[in-house]
Amino acid sequence: MSKNKHTLFSELVKPHLTSLFSTALRMTHHKGDAEDLVQDTLFKAYRALDQFQENTNFRAWIFRIMVNTFITGYRKAVKQPQKISYDDMEEFFLFKRLDENKELQETSKEEFLDTFFDDDIKEALENLPYQFRLVVLLCDVEGFSYNEIASVIDAPLGTVMSRLYRGRKLLQRNLWAYAKTRGYITDVTVARQS
Amino acid sequence: MSRSHASHKKFNCADVEKLAQRYIDNQLDEEEKRLFDEHLEYCLPCDKKIQFEFKLKEIVKSKAREPLSNNYSSEKIKSFLENLH
Ligand SMILES: [Zn+2]
Repeated sequence: MSKNKHTLFSELVKPHLTSLFSTALRMTHHKGDAEDLVQDTLFKAYRALDQFQENTNFRAWIFRIMVNTFITGYRKAVKQPQKISYDDMEEFFLFKRLDENKELQETSKEEFLDTFFDDDIKEALENLPYQFRLVVLLCDVEGFSYNEIASVIDAPLGTVMSRLYRGRKLLQRNLWAYAKTRGYITDVTVARQS
Repeated sequence: MSRSHASHKKFNCADVEKLAQRYIDNQLDEEEKRLFDEHLEYCLPCDKKIQFEFKLKEIVKSKAREPLSNNYSSEKIKSFLENLH
């Protein structure tokens, strides 16, 4: 049972190309950079294939290579959001804001979430500092477990959790800001009643 | 054999708030999950908040993903893969 290295690598990597590209795009913000990041990752992974132990987690292994490649080569080019304030970091932030709103008291808060466009969600993610964005992407979009994420980003479990929860809260805060500025929610109801 | 004290424990709303994210991600241990579910059964406000968090996670997953099919990036990456040596 000897397959050549190239065939083996192709078979291992093909199921993950969409995930790698999608994550790369959310991290770099640009298609061209995302293509380059994925290609650099494939190149490094191929060269290092001997170090991958068969029947272990290939998906986590190659994501780890991509994260390292991003941090060493691409991070500096990525615009970080300017000052982030960590006020308003309460749990269930978005639910609570929607719940307080007069317009929405009779409607389901869950249904309101369908108001957001794909681009709102992408923008809310892309405006997170990259450390938080990465962990949210790995957990919510790619479905990695906390332990897998710890190995992908090479950080302790506690760091994974604090970045994930903080990232989600910032994401909710972004969505709340878009809901107000993009007219998904207005205060006109109050005015109309008078 | 006496029953463990843990079986009499109950979660309140503050416990639920504290463990909400781990619950959403299915990272609670069996006992925590049982107590969490038990609280949601009789506390509608907490249940609504948790359902909301689940839905938001689902929406992030479905809307943030970029399909890699039949486009230029896909061709480029696949041909790069074919030509690795
Ligand atoms: Zn409760």
